[in-house]
Amino acid sequence: MNVHKLWEYREYVNVNGMMLTSELISMLQNSLTLLQVENHFTHIQYWGQLYAIDNDYHIAVGINDDAIADRKYFYTTDFKFWGLLPKPKKKYKILSLLTTFPFRGDPSLKIKVLDESLDENHPERCRLMKEESRIAATISNICDEAEICARGQLIKQPDGQVVINPNFYGLTGSEAKQLKSYMHIRHPQQRWNTNLLTRQDYNYSMDFLDSVDQDIPSGCWNLSLEKAGSVAYLKSLYWPGMAYFHKVRSSDAGFLYVGNGRKNLDVPFLL
Amino acid sequence: MSQTFLLEPDIIAAAENVMPDLNNDLVLAKNFLKQQCAATGDTLYDHLVDVVHKILSQKPPDVVDSFEQYSWEVKQEKFRPNFDLLNDIYLAPPQLAIVHRVDEMFRLVASKNQKLEDMGEEEQELDLEEDNVKPRVADLIDHNYYFREGGYGLPDSECYAVYIALKMLAIKEPVSTVRFFGKIYGTKANYYVAETDLTIEELDRRIREFEMKDMPGEGEGEGEGPIQEAEEQKELMGEGEAREEKSKEPVPPKLPPEPVSTWQPPPPIPVERPGQGVNKKVYWVCNQPGEPWICLPDLTPDQIRVARLTARCMTGDLDAEVLTFPPFEGTERNLLRAQIARVAAGACVSPQGFFTYGSGEEEEDIDLEEGGGDMDFNPNPFYQGHTLKDLLDPNLTYWVHHGKHILKQGRTIWWNPNAGMEEGVEEEEDEGPPPMEPESGPPLFSPLSEDARVEGLPAWTPRCSSMLAPDRALAVLRSNVWPGAVAYATTGKKAECMYVGWGLKYQPPNFSPLQLPRPQDEYPIGPEVMEMADPTFADEEAYRIAHLPPPPPPELPGEGEGFGEEEEEEDE
Repeated sequence: MNVHKLWEYREYVNVNGMMLTSELISMLQNSLTLLQVENHFTHIQYWGQLYAIDNDYHIAVGINDDAIADRKYFYTTDFKFWGLLPKPKKKYKILSLLTTFPFRGDPSLKIKVLDESLDENHPERCRLMKEESRIAATISNICDEAEICARGQLIKQPDGQVVINPNFYGLTGSEAKQLKSYMHIRHPQQRWNTNLLTRQDYNYSMDFLDSVDQDIPSGCWNLSLEKAGSVAYLKSLYWPGMAYFHKVRSSDAGFLYVGNGRKNLDVPFLL
Repeated sequence: MSQTFLLEPDIIAAAENVMPDLNNDLVLAKNFLKQQCAATGDTLYDHLVDVVHKILSQKPPDVVDSFEQYSWEVKQEKFRPNFDLLNDIYLAPPQLAIVHRVDEMFRLVASKNQKLEDMGEEEQELDLEEDNVKPRVADLIDHNYYFREGGYGLPDSECYAVYIALKMLAIKEPVSTVRFFGKIYGTKANYYVAETDLTIEELDRRIREFEMKDMPGEGEGEGEGPIQEAEEQKELMGEGEAREEKSKEPVPPKLPPEPVSTWQPPPPIPVERPGQGVNKKVYWVCNQPGEPWICLPDLTPDQIRVARLTARCMTGDLDAEVLTFPPFEGTERNLLRAQIARVAAGACVSPQGFFTYGSGEEEEDIDLEEGGGDMDFNPNPFYQGHTLKDLLDPNLTYWVHHGKHILKQGRTIWWNPNAGMEEGVEEEEDEGPPPMEPESGPPLFSPLSEDARVEGLPAWTPRCSSMLAPDRALAVLRSNVWPGAVAYATTGKKAECMYVGWGLKYQPPNFSPLQLPRPQDEYPIGPEVMEMADPTFADEEAYRIAHLPPPPPPELPGEGEGFGEEEEEEDE
């Protein structure tokens, strides 16, 4: 969610009853603007909050040239120092799904994770994971499955670069009611012609991402229109705490994650 | 072709055959652009004019990047049917349906206020009584302000509509107090939940109804059912045997008697009457503020038991079927009620001393009595508030539950299933089940520090709302067991809790459905039904040898005649 528009968005953002306070917005705008200048980011976004026992983590994303490939994640607990998250490693991505232990609030803490699918004497059965790598892995998992944008919010330029569309005018009312109009922010996993040709009004620059209506099971995204149909909310059941809002026919849109960083594996039972 | 569209000046120019000049060229170029397309009748000239007009009037940034898009949009607009001109259809904005309902609600509340004002002017002596009768509606807007200070709550627009809806509930329905409980998400629509106490008359009426419905049957019929069936079965079997004796047809091998189920359902746990235990409060829900509030039915202990064993999202439709294992008795309205009761029991917290039993002094005497579990509590008039440091203490000793713990039985007050048996059947006292340990949960107002931890995570996390302005900070508590449940307390006298979420409990590592019970033995195990290995050839041979007819006795010399005789007979 664009940091510089948080004041306008605060009435729309509501993740499981969580709302942005004035103090949080002020702190974020100040410290993130500084961060943006230091790192020469073209965009900086507030990503969300990870609950921990001692101090909650706040996460921000800096975007430079490419809106998908060139994202850098930062975390902080006190808004004074923003630490760059390491690149998520595949093994930590698996381990962070296994562990049920809560975040502590101390990035240097090491926790032990037991992989029960491996044999008793397997050397990799019990492995150490630093909380910092765990945050990076958790965020990467969430990005892969639950970071979304409206169709047209990101466009691919002829040279292959993906940019945030400066002329995004929002979805229309009827488009906003369809799950097909929302896309995953990730490297597309489907074939490019699948994504393109499932639409009648396909557009090469917009339909290069996977749309969320193909996620399994259908119903794992909860789409609701509120405020008399003027704001669309998309909530993920797999990642409770991930909520996307889009004000119909306007460029106001963004997602926010507020939660404990645990994937909800009960989705098939819930529906 | 181009000649047909030549304009007058061109014709003149052609006729005069002057030297080429700039104006002439311009006119020719313009003419070319104004050529009509045969299919659409459009000209490029008009299109460019429209595009430039659109760009200049809207002034978007970086048009050059999205010029194609613009051109496309302009073309698209031309094809849009214009309903206004053709047949004068007015398309109402989608908000209309909701506006009607909200408007009705506003009218109702406004007219009621007007009436109250008139009453007040006319009969000022009756004001005091009027106050007693008037239902108390918790000030949601005020509470929401504090919630928002702490980073939770509802958006202002929603909050105001809900508050007026609560007022409407207070006017329309027989309730004495109204409080906003929270919001529960559904896959198709969301529920707003109001928590109320009924007026005394309405409560009496419901209790009477409850007793009328429950007294006459009270489990006797159900208890006798299976026994009667068993008896009938026995009779049937007896008849069957008799018939077999009569008929002379080949008799089938005699089968062991068909087993009769000896399982008897455990005695049904009685439902807590309205105004007691889990049914103390009455909950009303609606999908949108402005819609009529719908009263949720009272809970049975069995519904709580099943709700604990399942995980399911609400759909937003109160009559939706609930397909779970073990089977849930009722529709979504019962499930919603059960989840609300569980949230209320687990996530209603307040600072210590905010509520008190009765009016204060007698609490200890009454607590020990039988009804101690179902005591009424009220806001404590002497509550002074705690310091922020106490409220934020991670041990949470200054926060207490004011929702009653629901026992495993599904009731808040333990019910002794053997009570009836001990009194009634004295002969079987020895055989009867041993007296059960009464279940007991933590008493009301037990501190949160005694809550169970979830995988190393304390059940509640306290946070301070502000780092920069400690003088106006307040303490916010969020539940980790019921994600979405929050409570706040100021250093003054304000405290409230609220729930906004899916109505799902956090169950790490994840929810696992109840296992099916093991299949029971159909027959008593005996040689008739047991499987055994087929005999091998060697076994059979051994058997044959063992069971050979006894060998003929050795021949005696005198018996040769016998043989002879027989032979002779045969010969004859």
